[in-house]
Amino acid sequence: MMRTLRQLRTLVAKDLRLEARTRQTVGLVVVMAILIVTVLGLGLGPQQLASGFAAPAVLWVAYLFAGVLCFEKTMACERHDGALAALLLAPVDRGVIYFAKLISNLILIAAIAIVVTPVALVLFGFDLSAAPGAFVVTVGVSMIGFAAIGTLFSAAVNSTGVRGGPLAMVIFPISLPLVLASTHMLIKCFRDGEPITQTALAILIAFALIYLVVSWLVFEMILAPGSE
Amino acid sequence: MTTLSVTDRFDEPAAVKTGAAMVCASGLGVRLGDRQILRDIELTIRPRTMLVLLGANGAGKSTLLGALATLTPVTGKLELFGQTVNRDAAALRARIGMIGHQPMLYRDLTARENLVFFGDLYGVAQPQARAMQLLQRVGLADRAEDAVKTFSRGMTQRVAIARALMHEPELLLADEPFSGLDLASIDKLEALLDELRHEGKAIIVAHHDIAHALRFADEVAVMRRGRMTMHKAAAQLDEQALRQEVLA
Repeated sequence: MMRTLRQLRTLVAKDLRLEARTRQTVGLVVVMAILIVTVLGLGLGPQQLASGFAAPAVLWVAYLFAGVLCFEKTMACERHDGALAALLLAPVDRGVIYFAKLISNLILIAAIAIVVTPVALVLFGFDLSAAPGAFVVTVGVSMIGFAAIGTLFSAAVNSTGVRGGPLAMVIFPISLPLVLASTHMLIKCFRDGEPITQTALAILIAFALIYLVVSWLVFEMILAPGSE
Repeated sequence: MTTLSVTDRFDEPAAVKTGAAMVCASGLGVRLGDRQILRDIELTIRPRTMLVLLGANGAGKSTLLGALATLTPVTGKLELFGQTVNRDAAALRARIGMIGHQPMLYRDLTARENLVFFGDLYGVAQPQARAMQLLQRVGLADRAEDAVKTFSRGMTQRVAIARALMHEPELLLADEPFSGLDLASIDKLEALLDELRHEGKAIIVAHHDIAHALRFADEVAVMRRGRMTMHKAAAQLDEQALRQEVLA
């Protein structure tokens, strides 16, 4: 168990060190996410923004595109120079590799969200003070499910050598139930002033857990010996 | 001139016969999709042996190395270090070092960070000290804190070797380790591999240069269309006959 945790820490630290060294992901993705929020905000206009409907949806659009770029870039470092083969040769459980990538992705997405969300809130005049905890929990749980799928499919797409579009094409439709549920809950909470019910939250958590467990199990097959 | 016949294929290598076989493959095959990439491979490798695999591109050398590294599913019998390779081959894999076509390193990490990272994954005691010791050995101690992406091909290859040796593997698999290296780097690498052999490791090298292979190998095997068509002690071979076998 201790060895597994040590390996997990080593893998996550490596991903974060690479990101800190290259700043390839966060810098680029933050700019892109802010652009998405700004363009959509300008496109929707003040009336739509004032309705309280747009902000959660626009934020999710930004999170989705930012997430896909994150997933792709964190997996791409394994493809360069065949590093993945060395990783697979090491006595590390494939599940540990999956969770390490997932944690790295979540940390990077969280860093991006911390920058992008306040920008969107200011731009849309979205008052988070009514239920900040509900916002964080709803987005956080959904993000775990989204990152679980993203981590899986970035490895799958990575192993085929295809980049870019295909990852978004696969992840977006599969993430739809999570994103819709999360957006719906946030709109009801912030526009209608209804608290997030335990049932709604339980369904969201169940979705995220299903995505997490299935992705973890399938990841092992994707990274099975000979698949790289 | 030594001529090669069907009868002297797969004869017992004249390598060191003391110690248990590190690799024992019998009827080994690899199938990827509809294609049979390797078939009927018979191979026994003992400690302190340098085996060079020769063959044209696509002959199956890299696939064989991948199979021996347990990275590729195989058919037939494969024993590593006296144990049959099964689905959970992680423990056996931990005793293998591999140098691939690519350096298998993170180019944005320094040489030392790369080694420490892999050392940590393998549970190496004092990975920092071990990393510096290996960088010293491959002549890169003074560049330990430089990113791998700033290295020449030869230097990168030396870091790759250090990476493969971090966990003190008993079996070293090297896929075209000399390709792209200048003469000085080839000499250094050859000397390093020779040292490792004398330390007791078994080394399997996929290579293209027949004359070079004969000069530093204990045993030479020829691969053709997924089969091992010859496996003999290097001392029993001459370059011309070997060339004919490889180009046949």
